Amino acid sequence: MSCAELERLFVSGAPAEAARAHRAVCASCAALGADADRAEALVSGLRPPAASPELLAALAAIPAKTVTCEGADRLTAAALEGEISPRDRLRLDFHLSRCEACAQASSVLGTMRDLASPPPAPWLIGRLAADRPERRRSLWRFLASPKAAISLAYAAAVVVMLAGFNPADLARKAGMGRIEETALASAQVAGRSLADRFGAFQEDALRKLAVWKGRAAGYGRAALSTAIQLVMKTEPQPPPRRGKTGEDKGLLQRGETEMWTWRA
Amino acid sequence: MSGTEEKALVERCRQGEDEAWRELVDRFGQKIYSVAYHFTLKREEAEELAQEIFLKIFENLHRYDGGFPLVAWIVSVSRNLCIDRYRRRKREKSFRFVSDDAVAPMLRSQDDPAAEALRKERTKLLFAALAEIPEDLAEILVLRDLDGLAYEEIGQALALPDGTVKSRLFRARAEVSRKIRERHESGAGSTFASLAAAAVAFV
Repeated sequence: MSCAELERLFVSGAPAEAARAHRAVCASCAALGADADRAEALVSGLRPPAASPELLAALAAIPAKTVTCEGADRLTAAALEGEISPRDRLRLDFHLSRCEACAQASSVLGTMRDLASPPPAPWLIGRLAADRPERRRSLWRFLASPKAAISLAYAAAVVVMLAGFNPADLARKAGMGRIEETALASAQVAGRSLADRFGAFQEDALRKLAVWKGRAAGYGRAALSTAIQLVMKTEPQPPPRRGKTGEDKGLLQRGETEMWTWRA
Repeated sequence: MSGTEEKALVERCRQGEDEAWRELVDRFGQKIYSVAYHFTLKREEAEELAQEIFLKIFENLHRYDGGFPLVAWIVSVSRNLCIDRYRRRKREKSFRFVSDDAVAPMLRSQDDPAAEALRKERTKLLFAALAEIPEDLAEILVLRDLDGLAYEEIGQALALPDGTVKSRLFRARAEVSRKIRERHESGAGSTFASLAAAAVAFV
């Protein structure tokens, strides 16, 4: 059994002289040290096996065979756009066959395209359809809007007044066409807004109606279930008869214990 | 190469610089093959394992944060892969029946055939003894004495303090030597008679 001092000296990196001095005075550590020295001498005579040039060439060619996980992200994105070269496709496929995380990420991205979009609310469809073309032509939309018409009318009146004319007289002479157009456009805006609000109100009402309908159906089912239970309730069975003569006389029959208790 | 330079080398590899990857293979290819060989003791399997290790390293370059030496990280990846692919039982089996061909690549050629035969037998004894001592001890001895890693590199690769690495190495050497001696003492009539004969010369 070693006294562990030799191991302590080795671990602490003490000079070889200190280890030798201890081994000279400790028999157990002397034997242990001799063992360790032999093993070290045996191992030190070995050399690492040489890697072949073919292996080193194969290791150097690894980037042509596969991609890093980061590269796989980029190539997956490119593949989704159909912008991946055949060589990169092979590298990506090789990587995905080995890397579970990247394979899953690639699979999820691939299936995202197949997901169906939820349909918008009925009252919103009309609004979206009405808004879409106007959004693309914002300048023309403004010029054609009632706001622009009113602004232009006010501006024209100011110009006319500054020029020394009475706008009311000019309007009477020119007729009421422009004012009527403005009023019509304003009515359209108000109408559209009212339709939106009515659509939202209608959807809310339908939702509440569905909730109450569900509750009523639940109560109905519960009532029906209770009624069925009441109707189907079993009548109490009379106690079984016990033979007064023969072999069964005085012996308890199956289920009779419960009936005796009931009688008591 | 400093830690900053190693980090820069990995960064260049991540950017897809072939030259940087070749530099990395030049630096660590031999060492990793050595680790793989000492684990399998078969040339074909070691080459296959070394390729698998480098594939894993290449694909996981983004995981290296420069926190410790590159060699420690690479050895850590190698060790995990070795353990995954060659479980203890398989390794034990391969070490118990070491062939002449398996030890030949580790021996320096000598003019004297008798001396070379003796060294072969000793090396086979060494690996047979390694299979018998606890895995955590054998692992340290192989990494330090056969693969030539520094204490710090082993400690970082295995997540162990330097003191533990040294302590295990000391015990591993003593255990290996004790196992070889035991084989010699019970050698007569055993299936390892030929190995024990060589142990006579060793002990």
